[in-house]
Amino acid sequence: MHLLNKLRAFLVQLETWLAAGSLLLLLLLALLQIVARNLFDTGFAGADTLSRYLVLYVMFFGAALAVERERHIRIDVCSAFLPARARARLYRPLQALAAAVCLLLTVAAVRYWRDAWQYAPDHERWLVLTALVIPLGFGLLCTQFVLTALLGREPDEPA
Amino acid sequence: MIIAIVLLVALALLGLPLFAVLGAGSLVYARESGLDAALLIIELNRLATSPNLTTIPLFTFAGVVLAAGGAPQRLIRLFNALLGWLPGGLAVVTIAACAFFTSFSGASGVTILALGGLLYPVLTKVHYPERFSLGLLTTSGSLGLLFAPSLAILLYGIVSGVNIDELFLAGIVPGTVLMVMLGTYAAVTGRRFGVSHHAFAWHVALRAVRASVGDILLPILIVVGIFGGFVTVSEAAACTALYVLVMETWVHRSIDLQAQLGALLADTAVLVGSILIILGVAMGLTNLMIDAQLPMQLLEWMEGSIDSHIKFLILLNIFLLLVGAMMDIFSATVVIVPLLLPLAQRFGIDPVHLGIIFLANLEIGYSTPPVGINLFIASQRFEKPILGLFRATLPFLALMLVWLLLVTYLPTLSLWWR
Repeated sequence: MHLLNKLRAFLVQLETWLAAGSLLLLLLLALLQIVARNLFDTGFAGADTLSRYLVLYVMFFGAALAVERERHIRIDVCSAFLPARARARLYRPLQALAAAVCLLLTVAAVRYWRDAWQYAPDHERWLVLTALVIPLGFGLLCTQFVLTALLGREPDEPA
Repeated sequence: MIIAIVLLVALALLGLPLFAVLGAGSLVYARESGLDAALLIIELNRLATSPNLTTIPLFTFAGVVLAAGGAPQRLIRLFNALLGWLPGGLAVVTIAACAFFTSFSGASGVTILALGGLLYPVLTKVHYPERFSLGLLTTSGSLGLLFAPSLAILLYGIVSGVNIDELFLAGIVPGTVLMVMLGTYAAVTGRRFGVSHHAFAWHVALRAVRASVGDILLPILIVVGIFGGFVTVSEAAACTALYVLVMETWVHRSIDLQAQLGALLADTAVLVGSILIILGVAMGLTNLMIDAQLPMQLLEWMEGSIDSHIKFLILLNIFLLLVGAMMDIFSATVVIVPLLLPLAQRFGIDPVHLGIIFLANLEIGYSTPPVGINLFIASQRFEKPILGLFRATLPFLALMLVWLLLVTYLPTLSLWWR
């Protein structure tokens, strides 16, 4: 358990840096584009595409952090009315199920990425490299859900 | 397939994250149709081609920075100085401040946490009844949803492909009408309970304006920038983020950039990630449903049972109110809008008008059980039971229903600029 806790802390730290870094880069890139376009009547090739991919980076790293912070959007109409004990019992199986879904999406994403890499023309290879965030992101989400399923959450521990 | 759908709905109701529910649904559907699951990822990757995608994280960042800075306090001070002399005084101030703040913070509940905590004790202190104050603050958590640059409008624009500039324009009158209606109700209540309101004082107003001139300029700069043709929506988002960061760091000195920037960026990423991951996963499922001609089948069924524009609008409102009661606004936008668009177009509803109707319904859903996020957050913030809060919001919800009818059946309110 100690090792898993350390792994989770490391992942959270890493995701925080990556999420914050991607968002900061997105902001800087957008501002740079505005300056280049308006003052020098020019722009950076591929900057718009890169900006939009950076949103995917923010999305995946933010979503991975949201697992640990319990911030994922849920409908949970029933669970809101369940007693705390029943809610606690449901927590680990639901996290494990989410991990399984993410694992299947990771496998699909890896297959997609491999094909994209194989068939991409040389000048578009960099774009495929940036899309590596898709399998990586689902992989991170899967790992976070596995960790929360194994470690549980605070009120869960005594039970 | 039906068993899988029932199981997934049950899991969703039990609290499986929505993106996982949609992901599982997409995987099951792809398998049943004999399709490669990699198709779902192709659709997700297509998200990176949405032209205004960058607006979501950048405007959200601006909202997070404003919330962490002193914006809530400055807004209350400003609107109190400008509007506190009106009948209904502080309640009108509450409505204006909440609407302003929500348009930036994205109606994620931050308004109730940031402004509600400050305003609740003051409202009760000036003798507004407790139930009225709770109802007002709970419903105010989603006021301003129709004003630029609200996250809900941006998401609707991206999902539907409707021009975001047009949506910003379309939201102005309906949003203002709602504020006037609620303000009038607040004034009547204030008079009924003999709530005092202060006299207008120029020197106080000028001091408040000077203190928050940066905040007042923000929506003006966005609107003038976009509609004056100086910047695109995406550029406006980047400029807003920078402007807010500079104002809070160096002008108001409410944020220590070195110590807080990382946390603010990460908080934004969590908010954006939890919303966009649903959009990313749902895009695959939506596309599979479109490939299976589900909207077309729905359209055929509706054409058989609905024969008029008005009937369609009535059913649309009932359906969306139910959706609003069951789902939060972001998930509903991602899941429902692609199915609704072809239906609405068939019945002659303008996609921009549909956007305003959609968001107005979901705005009401914020305060209705079982999934009224405003109720949950207000319950935590004010330590009151959810049912009691729902009872407190009833007069406000009744007014909002009247407003919904106006917005739905008077398209001019949304499309006056055409």
